[in-house]
Amino acid sequence: MRRLEDGATYREPVDQLVYATGAGPRWLEVPGARSRGIYGVATLADGLLLRQIVEDERPQRAVIVGGGYIGIEMAEAFVARGLDVSLVELGSEVMGTLDADMGALVSAALREAGVKVYLEERVTGFHADGGQVRAVETDRRTLPADLVVLGVGVQPRSELAAEAGLPLGESGAVRIDDRMRTGIPGVWAAGDCAETFHLVSRRPAYIPLGTTANKQGRICGINLGGGYARFPGVVGTAITKFNQTEVARTGLSEREAQALGFEYGVARIEDRTRARYYPDSALMVVKLLAEKGSGRLLGAQIVGGPGAGKRIDVVAAALHAGMRVDEFMYLDLAYAPPFSPVWDPLLIAARKAAEQV
Amino acid sequence: MATKDRLIIVGGDAAGMSAAAQALRMRDDLEIIAFERGQHTSYSA
Repeated sequence: MRRLEDGATYREPVDQLVYATGAGPRWLEVPGARSRGIYGVATLADGLLLRQIVEDERPQRAVIVGGGYIGIEMAEAFVARGLDVSLVELGSEVMGTLDADMGALVSAALREAGVKVYLEERVTGFHADGGQVRAVETDRRTLPADLVVLGVGVQPRSELAAEAGLPLGESGAVRIDDRMRTGIPGVWAAGDCAETFHLVSRRPAYIPLGTTANKQGRICGINLGGGYARFPGVVGTAITKFNQTEVARTGLSEREAQALGFEYGVARIEDRTRARYYPDSALMVVKLLAEKGSGRLLGAQIVGGPGAGKRIDVVAAALHAGMRVDEFMYLDLAYAPPFSPVWDPLLIAARKAAEQV
Repeated sequence: MATKDRLIIVGGDAAGMSAAAQALRMRDDLEIIAFERGQHTSYSA
């Protein structure tokens, strides 16, 4: 152990050990990427620092690299602060955890709010002046920048565990079983440094999220304390928003289902968050996938106005239960005009998907 | 007198602190030491 305050090194004898070292932001390996003014957003301290910089240095132009959760949430924050915001994304649409046809709706929402969205562009370098970033270079253009935020994903902090000889999975995260055991007696791992199990693909997966970290930590504590608990796994549920546009996903996207070799039927419908005539009824789009033959639900994506996003939890529960789409489409979901059309958009999507499997 | 079993947790955010809290509920004879590189624990980023 090295104490960061004074650099002193020392040893701690130990009976049991938990690796909960989390994940760190990926950084771009391009010229100038270590210039001042380029930030990742991984911790509370990172967020506080960025807010301080926006308040103290009054940057005018922000460039965000990466159109994932961090990217669109930072875009929302910068737009709210009145900055001129550009977003560069390598993929064909933002929100690469959704399929492109759904991500396109989020790209549109960004543009509508004045964010300049540059898709299918690769950042090739950063120009700096006196060590301070001044511009972002892509393979298509140069974007002037006073402030750059990188949201290009995270990687597990598993170096310590690897050095100690713990097996890592394909993702580079610590491999654990459903009781958070690493394979070495008395040594455990949980959270963003570790893998989990995907209940739809039935494979190990690396989906670092605070929700899962809390659950894995709890399971870990019960087991190392002499109790018995198992973590079944995850279905890949996540949610975010950009201004009024809510974005949610669970299970497998079409792209993931293809990569895993699933034969699937898919429905994509547009409906409303509340009864059409009710105040604040907003558009929402639902995409739903089900396996051909078995009819088993595989996943869903939602993009829409206020009230759309958390509907994803119904599908998440159904995925945990291994439900078929023909069972799902008659679920007794809550209805009154302020909350939903009489057929919830999820059920409409399920009806359509059921015709495809 | 037997010394307490010592549990070391590397990382003091969601997973680490959840593990600590739960382990303490299971066993009051554990000595738990948690290390955190940052200034905050359990902020659940």
